[in-house]
Amino acid sequence: MVDESKLREKAAEVLAREDVRRLIGWKRGTYGFEAAPCVIKDASEAEALIFDPTCVQNPASFITLEEKKPVPRGQEADTRKIAVMVKGCDSRAIVQQLVEKAYDRDHVIVLGIPCLGVIDRRKAAALFGDVASQVSAKVDAEKVAVDVGGDVKTVDRKDILMDKCLRCRYPNPLVYDELLADEVEKWAGDEFADVGEFEGQSPEEKWAFWEEQFSKCIRCYSCRNVCPMCYCVECVVTKLQPQWTRRATDISENTVYHIQRAWHLAGRCIECMECQRVCPVDIPIMTLNRKLTRDVKEMFEYEPGVDVEAQPLLASYNPQDPEDFIM
Amino acid sequence: MDNLNRRPRIGVYICHCGINIGSVVDVPGLVEYASRLPGVVVAREYTYMCSDPGQNLVKEDIKNEGLNRVIVASCSPRMHEPTFRKTLKEAGLNPYYLEMANIREQCSWVHPDKEQATHKARKLVEAAVVKAMLLEALEEKEVDVIPACLVIGAGIAGIQASLDIADAGFKVYLVEKTPSVGGRMAQLDKTFPTLDCSACILTPKMVDVANHPNIELMSYSQLESIEGYVGNFKATVRKKARFVNFNTCTGCGVCAENCRLAGRIPNEFDENIGMRGAIYLPFPQAVPAKYTIDPERCLQLTKGKCGKEGPACAAACGPGSIDFEQEDELVEIEIGTVIVATGYDVFDCTRKPEYGWEDIDNVMTGLEFERLVSASGPTGGHVILGRDKKGEGGYEPKKVAFIHCVGSRDKSVGNEYCSRVCCMYLAKQAHLVRDKLPDADIAVFYMDVRAFGKGFEEFYDRVRREGVRYIRGNPSEIYRTGEDHTVVIKVEDTLTGTPMEYEADLVVLGVGLEPRRDVREIIDLFKLSQSTDGFFMEAHPKLRPVDTASDGVYLAGCCQGPKDIPDTVAQAKGAASSALILMAYGKVKVEALVSVVSPDECRGCGFCMEVCPFGAIELVDQNRMGNIVQVAQVNEALCKGCGSCAAACLSGAIQPRSFKDEQILPQIAVLGVRI
Repeated sequence: MVDESKLREKAAEVLAREDVRRLIGWKRGTYGFEAAPCVIKDASEAEALIFDPTCVQNPASFITLEEKKPVPRGQEADTRKIAVMVKGCDSRAIVQQLVEKAYDRDHVIVLGIPCLGVIDRRKAAALFGDVASQVSAKVDAEKVAVDVGGDVKTVDRKDILMDKCLRCRYPNPLVYDELLADEVEKWAGDEFADVGEFEGQSPEEKWAFWEEQFSKCIRCYSCRNVCPMCYCVECVVTKLQPQWTRRATDISENTVYHIQRAWHLAGRCIECMECQRVCPVDIPIMTLNRKLTRDVKEMFEYEPGVDVEAQPLLASYNPQDPEDFIM
Repeated sequence: MDNLNRRPRIGVYICHCGINIGSVVDVPGLVEYASRLPGVVVAREYTYMCSDPGQNLVKEDIKNEGLNRVIVASCSPRMHEPTFRKTLKEAGLNPYYLEMANIREQCSWVHPDKEQATHKARKLVEAAVVKAMLLEALEEKEVDVIPACLVIGAGIAGIQASLDIADAGFKVYLVEKTPSVGGRMAQLDKTFPTLDCSACILTPKMVDVANHPNIELMSYSQLESIEGYVGNFKATVRKKARFVNFNTCTGCGVCAENCRLAGRIPNEFDENIGMRGAIYLPFPQAVPAKYTIDPERCLQLTKGKCGKEGPACAAACGPGSIDFEQEDELVEIEIGTVIVATGYDVFDCTRKPEYGWEDIDNVMTGLEFERLVSASGPTGGHVILGRDKKGEGGYEPKKVAFIHCVGSRDKSVGNEYCSRVCCMYLAKQAHLVRDKLPDADIAVFYMDVRAFGKGFEEFYDRVRREGVRYIRGNPSEIYRTGEDHTVVIKVEDTLTGTPMEYEADLVVLGVGLEPRRDVREIIDLFKLSQSTDGFFMEAHPKLRPVDTASDGVYLAGCCQGPKDIPDTVAQAKGAASSALILMAYGKVKVEALVSVVSPDECRGCGFCMEVCPFGAIELVDQNRMGNIVQVAQVNEALCKGCGSCAAACLSGAIQPRSFKDEQILPQIAVLGVRI
């Protein structure tokens, strides 16, 4: 586990640097099982920073969302660095963003935190119901100790941690300038059993499933907005000329939107599960992404977000690529 | 802007293409349908729209009806888009106001059902009408052509192309990887079917390229990089260090005689059956006649010392030409056109282990046999095998076997194609054996004999009359028996259906031609494509056989596919003339149908740059309200408008002109409506 006082000390030290503009990390949320992401600009604010299993949000999403305001004439653009705290899974987003030239490596200072898993608020709600007080938690290789308003309860890992944590293959950050704690041991593999299980259904069953799921969608675009890989200047989904997807929230347009979103993430999704986490109507968005992730891995032996030197999958070509789809 | 100010007045022209379209699609009905589509002013049919009267129909209507968009429903735009663009231009309309509906290849040729085909033709025409409304006028630009040509590879193809271009008065840079020009043809002894001495007809040309005032010969050099576009290429050539002063070396050969490794290194030019030293001239007629030190073998260069007294070559060299400190030199050249003439490699027999080439000394490839019978070869042209290292001893073979189609027409090694030269070179070699060893028993094992060229059949007849036995059968195995040189060929005579075992003491494998093993380097440099056989692909198999998909880059010789010498020379002359067209005219039109970037939408991920097969896209800094960001930029002279970039772009920020999403989507909408 990371020592929080060391984390704050390090954050203050980084923020004190001349060439650092701001730091993105986590602070205690006002209530419930999720910590709040926070952006701090001054070393004095570092006291608020925390890291525990409630720190589920992926801070890497914010790096590319930073608004580049017009620079008044005669002034220089602020090109100071951004410091960001990341878990293993979050770091894959940074790797993939670097692969896609979203920014230069020296634009960010990555403070890596080895992580043993974070809490799924939906699973927690099933165990604890609605919680209005602040929650903190501790996790080890076997159990999660949840402190709800001073009342500590120990829970089995699989009953409360995010699914991605149960199959996590990258608990340690893959890219960092500094590690804030000792590396942890990997505890799981990923056989894509969930994808196989889903695929085992008949086309009718699958279609019925998605029809129900997509019909719930209110097209708030939270899944897109939170995604660390979705950072086009203008998203094709909201473009009007030409208009690929209409704004109507009917099953047809919703289906197009979700397929388009999944497709745009083929070979890019780093499985942080943020899209599914933020969905207000509980659409299991990752089911689509996971299928693409597995296919990309099996067909092209490619895994996004693990190698800064890699070529983006959809921008590279190998004569040995499978061509089974060509009749 | 005129497309905004003027309402579209569309003319639709439907071609019968003889009976190609007319017999399947109801053309009069299609005309009737098209004439009622919105914006259509006139719709007509004609037997052959591409004919002069057909084109005149369009021109007349542009004048009389004030058409500002033209739709031709006929064949593929690959066939006649240039034709009709010209028609529009001649009638004073921007040529990019043309839209073609392909109702032949994509309709009448593939759909037997007349009704459904007609329905599809209607949809295709309607889609073209919708798109025609959204067409934009585009301007074709012209750029100057640098009057110089880079020829890569100095075999007979490269030599001939260089001489033709140089004789026409243009500069040629002839780059050759090995120390001497000449290529494969220089390795051959006689040429079929005329039995001309290969060296005798080649060496004068080799000398010519070296002496021609317009040719800069860069031997022992390799193309390092090339950038730019048709008419304006910048290339960097690495002149490898010979470790011999090129200007002072007289080619006397005293150095080679004194080399401590003389006669101890296999000579690549002799297909490794002859020997050379670490300092060498690959063959006596080599051009330039300058010695070269092999940096991988020379003791001084690899170990830093050579004998007690230092390098003997340097001590022996009269003019003091040997320079162990020499370094590679990078030369930058500017050229307008490129001819790729990189040639071939012969089939690697280790991929056919059942023929025992690796293990059995007297099983050799056709090319090795050429060196064996060549007067300049290691045995001075005597067919003698099994000599020791000093070149003594050995025996004359009594029974010689030739085997056809080794590595050609053979799916098991991945080469389905016919190499086109093996039938005849084996016949020639059989003749040479008969000539040199009148008493030898000669058998040729063949699948078919393809004697298709001028004088080939006559020559094949002659060889048979000389007592060369042709046995139809593809050997299954070649192995050695006992102590002597006897090699057994297991084969079934497929004409009589009898299995036989032929004993020989020399077996020549008629190895096929394959793409160069290092072909990838050239592909990466020029972004060339390959056909399924691995050879470079021409732009069109019938009508553009020397062009490539990269403008200004032409192909000559066996790099494009197996060829004999006359075909190679003919293609070299074709490539030279293609290159000369550009250089003589001095200007070249660049594609107007290029991709355009919307820099405000571009996120600078570079996917488009990575997938561009022409290297036409780069990322450049853009000032976005005071913030510097990277965005894609298209080099319009390099772009071919293929649209790969648009497919890769996630935000739709790059689009090929005339195929923009907003132009295609309405088409899809029309085509997608249910019947």
